[in-house]
Amino acid sequence: MNQGIVFKLNGQPVSYTGSAADRLLDVLRQTYRLTGVKCGCNEGECGACSVLIDGHLANSCMVAMGRVENCEVTTIEGYSQTERFQVLEQAYAAVSAVQCGYCIPGMILASECVLARHPHPSETEIRLGLSGNLCRCTGYNAIVKAIQIAAEKGEGLW
Amino acid sequence: MMPISQSVIKKDHLAKACGQAMYVADYDTTQMLQGLILRSPHAHAKILSMTYPPLPEGYFTVDYRDVPGINEVHIVKDDTPVYADATVEYIGDPIMMLVGPDERELERLLAQIEVNYELLPAIIDVRDGDTAFFDYHFGKGDMDQAWAEADQIFEECFETGYQEQAYLEPQGLIADYNQGKITVRGSMQCPYYVHGALAKALGLTPDKVRVIQDVTGGGFGGKEDYPSILACQVAVAAYKAKGQPVRVIFGRREDMEFTSKRHPSRCTYKAAVKNGRVTALDADVIFNAGAYTTLSAVVLQRGIIAASGVYDIPALKVHGAAIKTNTVPNGAYRGFGAPQTFFAVEMLMEHIANALDEEPLAFKLRHMVRQGSVTSTGGRYHFPVPLPAMVDEVRKMSDFEQKRQVYARQQTGTTRRGIGISLWFHGAGFTGSGERDIIKAVTRLHKLADGRVEILASQSDIGQGIKTTLCKIVANELNLPLDQVSYDNPDTDRVPDSGPTVASRSLMTVGELLRRAAIRLRSQWQEGVEQTVEEHFKEPDFVIPFYIDKFQGDAYPTYAWGVCAVEVAVDTLTGVNEITGTWASFDVGTPIDLNIVIGQMEGGLLQGLGYASMEQLAADQKGRIRNHSFSDYIIPTAMDVPLMKVQLHVEAYPDGPYGAKGAGELPLVGAAPAYMSALEQALAGPINHIPFSAEDALKLIRQSRRA
Amino acid sequence: MVNGFSPATLQEALEIRARHSVTPYAGGTDLMINPDPDAVYLFVNHIPEMKQIEQRGDQLHLGAACTYTQLLEHPLTPAILKAAIDLIAAPAIRNEGTIGGNIANGSAKADSVLIFFVADASLKLNSQSAERIIPIRDFYRERKQLDLRPDELITEIILPTKWLDHYYYKKVGARKALAISRVVFAGLLTWQDDVIAHCATAFGAVSGVVLRCPELDALLIGKTRSEAQAAKAGYLAAFGDMIAPIQGRVSAEYRKEVCLNLLTDFLTSNGI
Ligand SMILES: Cc1cc2nc3c(=O)[nH]c(=O)nc-3n(C[C@H](O)[C@H](O)[C@H](O)COP(=O)(O)OP(=O)(O)OC[C@H]3O[C@@H](n4cnc5c(N)ncnc54)[C@H](O)[C@@H]3O)c2cc1C
Ligand code: FES
Ligand code: FES
Repeated sequence: MNQGIVFKLNGQPVSYTGSAADRLLDVLRQTYRLTGVKCGCNEGECGACSVLIDGHLANSCMVAMGRVENCEVTTIEGYSQTERFQVLEQAYAAVSAVQCGYCIPGMILASECVLARHPHPSETEIRLGLSGNLCRCTGYNAIVKAIQIAAEKGEGLW
Repeated sequence: MMPISQSVIKKDHLAKACGQAMYVADYDTTQMLQGLILRSPHAHAKILSMTYPPLPEGYFTVDYRDVPGINEVHIVKDDTPVYADATVEYIGDPIMMLVGPDERELERLLAQIEVNYELLPAIIDVRDGDTAFFDYHFGKGDMDQAWAEADQIFEECFETGYQEQAYLEPQGLIADYNQGKITVRGSMQCPYYVHGALAKALGLTPDKVRVIQDVTGGGFGGKEDYPSILACQVAVAAYKAKGQPVRVIFGRREDMEFTSKRHPSRCTYKAAVKNGRVTALDADVIFNAGAYTTLSAVVLQRGIIAASGVYDIPALKVHGAAIKTNTVPNGAYRGFGAPQTFFAVEMLMEHIANALDEEPLAFKLRHMVRQGSVTSTGGRYHFPVPLPAMVDEVRKMSDFEQKRQVYARQQTGTTRRGIGISLWFHGAGFTGSGERDIIKAVTRLHKLADGRVEILASQSDIGQGIKTTLCKIVANELNLPLDQVSYDNPDTDRVPDSGPTVASRSLMTVGELLRRAAIRLRSQWQEGVEQTVEEHFKEPDFVIPFYIDKFQGDAYPTYAWGVCAVEVAVDTLTGVNEITGTWASFDVGTPIDLNIVIGQMEGGLLQGLGYASMEQLAADQKGRIRNHSFSDYIIPTAMDVPLMKVQLHVEAYPDGPYGAKGAGELPLVGAAPAYMSALEQALAGPINHIPFSAEDALKLIRQSRRA
Repeated sequence: MVNGFSPATLQEALEIRARHSVTPYAGGTDLMINPDPDAVYLFVNHIPEMKQIEQRGDQLHLGAACTYTQLLEHPLTPAILKAAIDLIAAPAIRNEGTIGGNIANGSAKADSVLIFFVADASLKLNSQSAERIIPIRDFYRERKQLDLRPDELITEIILPTKWLDHYYYKKVGARKALAISRVVFAGLLTWQDDVIAHCATAFGAVSGVVLRCPELDALLIGKTRSEAQAAKAGYLAAFGDMIAPIQGRVSAEYRKEVCLNLLTDFLTSNGI
């Protein structure tokens, strides 16, 4: 029973030897020092802690470590190394969609999931895709716009 | 559009987008101690005794006896204790802090602390309050005559609820005491407020106090005064820890339950009407201050100065009071008292118009102030008032007239539609002479030998983009590329006090100081030499001096203006409404960056719409805040207001940089009345409180069905 | 792993469930809200037998560990279930959350559970030694009291699909996404040869358990349109007596009024 939990973190195989009941969010921030993953509520309500698990959006505060065994976990630190990130980042920049920035790592990962599902998303598909990621600063319009720009500029990437 | 308005990539964009920006909770904690605060479970009680459990090595307690300076947090009046000594005044009043390395152990130990209380009578409902922390009166014109000659008198009471800032990053600070000097860093709007508070509580000279702002995940006023309180608490702990930093990061619950919020209000208005015109207004404005004064004085001042809205009313009598209750102290929130009074006066004007059988918008337009009109405090609107043009813009964008007429007809089926419009201003910068007499802002530009220039000021970028806009101004005057001008998060050891990041003042006031500094630097520019220039605030000449004791003079040098239309559809089966469109025009002067300003407008507008409806927060009968999580305190998601169109109307202000005036707070201030006016049309009944729930709507539907 | 088991098959999972004191963990979206730091989890989220979706005759068999996202994307998922799932939380929660977890959490606000009630679904419960199939109505004894033995797992939801096509569904939450139900209603009504062949209704978030009263719905079954219209007032009144919401953040009076409004609208929309 003392084997570590083996999973891939931002492409690297790792083994976590702590409790399977630990929160993924805490482990990412404390053990692996991936502090781009933010904590805004610790109860699944804000999306600041969003990560990708096998390419799907998940709130890392709502995931126990045992759940990610043999999975691929991607945080903003890993995602920011991709070409898709660059397109999204530039699109966010073009409309100044980043204000305080606290929701943004989560928003960008949510944006990735919107585009992965709908390479040419409608505005409603975008808004639905962001609906679990709260942003108190922007009013969301700029973020929606950024995703539309990314869809256009990143034609073929998703 | 001026070239300076052209958007650039924000200075802090990339670090935030890729998750590298360091917020206070992101620092490595291995060398740090954690602090956990013990709070009062009673709304009002005397502390008889406290018993601490035996503590393991490395753990210690901090309470009022450990405060080396004065046990008061310097804000405006200094009645907030760092740690409660004799009494506790609200549920959540901090009594002591337990400090140690392990959070779970701290929780376990905290539960073992015994405090004996003698319960005292508590005032929870503001209507039971008997202590006015602040009580102001002012007015103009001949009230008696207006009353005597009136055709009709209207009287109505309006209520508004709490609003929680709900910044995504909870409050948090780290304190470190080393070699006689205290350093506090973290999430905050006003490093020098924190600086002043620390010097007093720790009994240190200013040079022994250092405050550093870290990247801050939103503030909206919530990080204006509160960090001063938390900073003193954490600093006292660090003082005792001698050498080891102490960190306190709030969870969402602690943050929502115990930090400051927007003041709930009760505004009772009386209006005299003669020949279809409001001739006099009597406004009685009551704010629930909570247990300590914190910022209530200044919030109330701004609120009551706006009591007559954008209307030119010859006779005015205003009374404002901030009443003490044994509940969490209320403080600053974007708008700073004005959303409360604007809700009241806008709804009052709607209701009078309805009673006179006139279209509310036409009625409002007939009463509007214009350039040269006298303000509520006997000052002047010195500059053009662009409201009529803005109203036209919004009418067009929203197809207002057409919709208003259609929705006025009998509606059938289970959907009721309505559209409403509101008009407002926001006084730019500090109220009254605060800027001149209290803040006395100083900024510096530091030019390096290689020609790069650094801005030295104490403004915090909390998301509003001030880092970028200030750099744009300086780069523009110096003809430098933007990357040659930098602005770091303020560190009081390095930057002068250019004042707090509040009151929509940073860009208008500090931006103008920096623009002037840049012009001076340009005229003195020497290649290859390090140079510094300094600039001090000077009040513009046209300003009529303001006297706060009489509420007389120019409360603000100029005003930002807002017009907003909201369209709703209400489901008569459930009372749930949907905002089907929002259109607004804002005048904040010249936008120093179009994207940034639009972002402020959209974000603020959405907060204002939330305030009016879904953002319900209440204290229970014992005075405990019930809504303390994001599942219980509901803020808008990306789905809630899909159609929000904002445009800018530019009325340049000669004393702001390139014509800019205050922007940050404006969009929130008058959103609620537009929304409620739309609901009134849809529901065919009067609304006089916010937040307005689906349940309230259903009640109104039932009433109008009966009628 | 420490404090957890991650079995590969149902058989293995049931053995662990029998031998150890474990908490089943499906999507974690209820468990992790207020987690017990000393819990030992049995991760069932990837057990293949609990993730299947299969139509057998008139019945749709849904694996208890199916996530909401999986069901939304599956062609066999009935429209009424999709309508309910669409309004559950937001994508990240739907990617992890499961219908089995929704059921076992025991809340009357659970949105997929409402659909299982109105459809008169049954649950398949397995332990190492036995298997039983019980109607969901019997599984919920009262608020948070479930007929689930400590060695059992919910493995399947068996959903009769015959009457699901003609449905009415409405959820009242505090906003348009990411909202817990304040009142939620589902109704099924099918006409055959000008008489009501089937009528079923269920109300969520009003009492300790989802409210489903087949004996009242039976008042309409077999009736022609005019007979049903004549019976309408009695039917509504009977539900008026049944619906007694518990006080909450949103008042009981409001929730009751909305229930009856929706019930009335359900009938109206069916021409009654
Ligand atoms: C932000 C947020 C929003 C939400 N919104 C909604 C909403 O709109 N509507 C709604 O209905 N719910 C909502 N929920 C609640 C939750 O997401 C759902 O109830 C979900 O279906 C739970 O499933 P799970 O797999 O995550 O359960 P888990 O958390 O894994 O488990 C829940 C309970 O069920 C037990 N359990 C799980 N699977 C089994 C099994 N196969 N056999 C026996 N016991 C089992 C667990 O031991 C636990 O006690 C929300 C939750 C969050 C955090
Ligand atoms: S921190 Fe995980 S959703 Fe808010
Ligand atoms: S940018 Fe501040 S919360 Fe989204």
